[in-house]
Amino acid sequence: MQELTLASPGGAVLSLDAVLILLSALACLGSKLFDRYLTYYALQSVLLAVAAATAAYLEGDPALWVLAGLTLVLKGWAIPAAARHWLVQRLDLKRDSGITTGLSLTLVLGTALCAFAYLAVSPERLAHGLLAASVVPISTAVVLLGALAMVVRRHMVAQLIGWLIMENGVFLGAITLTASFPLIVEVGIFFDLLAGFLIMLAMTTGLAERISPLPIGRSGRDS
Amino acid sequence: MPYLLQVLQTLLVLAISPLYVGVIARGTAILQSKHGPSVLQPYRDLRKWLHKGVVRSEHAGPVFVAAPYVAMACYLTVSTIVPIITDEPLPLAFMGDLLGGALVLALAGFAMSLGAMDSASPLGALGASRTAWLGSLAEPALILVFFTVGVLSASDNPYLMNHAIAGSPAALILPTHLLGAVAFLLLILAENGHIPVDNPAGTTEIAMIEESRVLEYSGRDYALVKWGSWMKFTLLSCVFMNVFVLPWGLGSATSLAQGLLGSAAVAGKLALSAALVMTIDSSFAKLRFFRIAEYLGGAFLLALIGIITSYVVGR
Repeated sequence: MQELTLASPGGAVLSLDAVLILLSALACLGSKLFDRYLTYYALQSVLLAVAAATAAYLEGDPALWVLAGLTLVLKGWAIPAAARHWLVQRLDLKRDSGITTGLSLTLVLGTALCAFAYLAVSPERLAHGLLAASVVPISTAVVLLGALAMVVRRHMVAQLIGWLIMENGVFLGAITLTASFPLIVEVGIFFDLLAGFLIMLAMTTGLAERISPLPIGRSGRDS
Repeated sequence: MPYLLQVLQTLLVLAISPLYVGVIARGTAILQSKHGPSVLQPYRDLRKWLHKGVVRSEHAGPVFVAAPYVAMACYLTVSTIVPIITDEPLPLAFMGDLLGGALVLALAGFAMSLGAMDSASPLGALGASRTAWLGSLAEPALILVFFTVGVLSASDNPYLMNHAIAGSPAALILPTHLLGAVAFLLLILAENGHIPVDNPAGTTEIAMIEESRVLEYSGRDYALVKWGSWMKFTLLSCVFMNVFVLPWGLGSATSLAQGLLGSAAVAGKLALSAALVMTIDSSFAKLRFFRIAEYLGGAFLLALIGIITSYVVGR
């Protein structure tokens, strides 16, 4: 995996997939409806599952196939479906009014973060044409974009989705870089559990608040 | 022989552009379960307008009169520069690269805007202002799109870009190229008043963008204006297909037969892009005016990410 080059077909698929994952993060950052957030997150997770499956195919490792399947079912279907049912529909969330910056400005900031990720990782120091040199800056950018989503959005559910995007970014980097796959499986399942936990948390908070979900970041000022 | 092909190419653009628009109008109507006008309707419209007398406001100035001719000259110039039927530069192609072509197209738009402001009608100035706002957002994105293909071919000459991509088909699925192609498609739709930016079949003045510039034209002038805008759409679609999507099937500049083969191939490619435009026209809603900025911002972003990935992923 570490010595996989861009020129190989597998490398080309993985790098294209990584760019699509980046784009879905930007799409999520550029939308205003809770329903869209979840759609783009589900799309990103499916793309991540494709990346994991490609890695599994290249390595011939059954553990990675399991990981790809888990990603597809848990993140691509279960988490978005549960969030849609328990959070978006039950709390009747439609338009996110808790965005602190305009969409265009957010997207510009997002692009700047992508460029920053490239500069920070400086992949040109790695051997030329190596797959890791292309995917690591992209996964770093996805992590930063998820962080940006958590920074500019005040609504708890929107922040949760930002967190999930960050996690996808970490996962993308891990698939491309790490050689010890059982570790990734563990880490992946751990993160999924944590994501489930956070969703439960958001759900209970939402149920308690019912009409007005908790606006994080304002609580100090309002009380 | 190349000169003959040069004339053939321009004539082809002149002749095929009403058909292209007619096919899109008919196809969109059919997709929306309507009957729609015949695909030849634009030709009939042109004949009708060319036979009608011209009515101009007595307060309209000379710029208003000259604008359609200047614009038409610009579109004819661009039709000699870009690759349409041959993959080798024709004698007049030395005049400009893609940036040059975009400059001449912008000049045509500038002339039409000046003409609209000189039309002695408030709607003209309003349309000019809207189009200028749209153009100021679309133009930077367009230049970035040219950079994305420029990164792949190390050139901004459309013929070299065509060769670079036709020579290595793997470049077609490079992220940089895909992002650039999608951004270019978004810009074509915006520049030619298609959904989601404008409704080509719209008749309400308050919602028009580009069409409100030309409301004051009539007769022969109107025929030129409309024909010119159809040519612009056809030219941009040709560049989209020949440089971004399917860089194959162009003839060499050696014989007339090759040119005719290239023409047939281009007609087929335009049918494909027409199908794409029809699908988009009937599956999306028109955006609110101030959301167009976000749409064009999206195109800009795609092109910019394309350029960043060209550094990250390489070419």
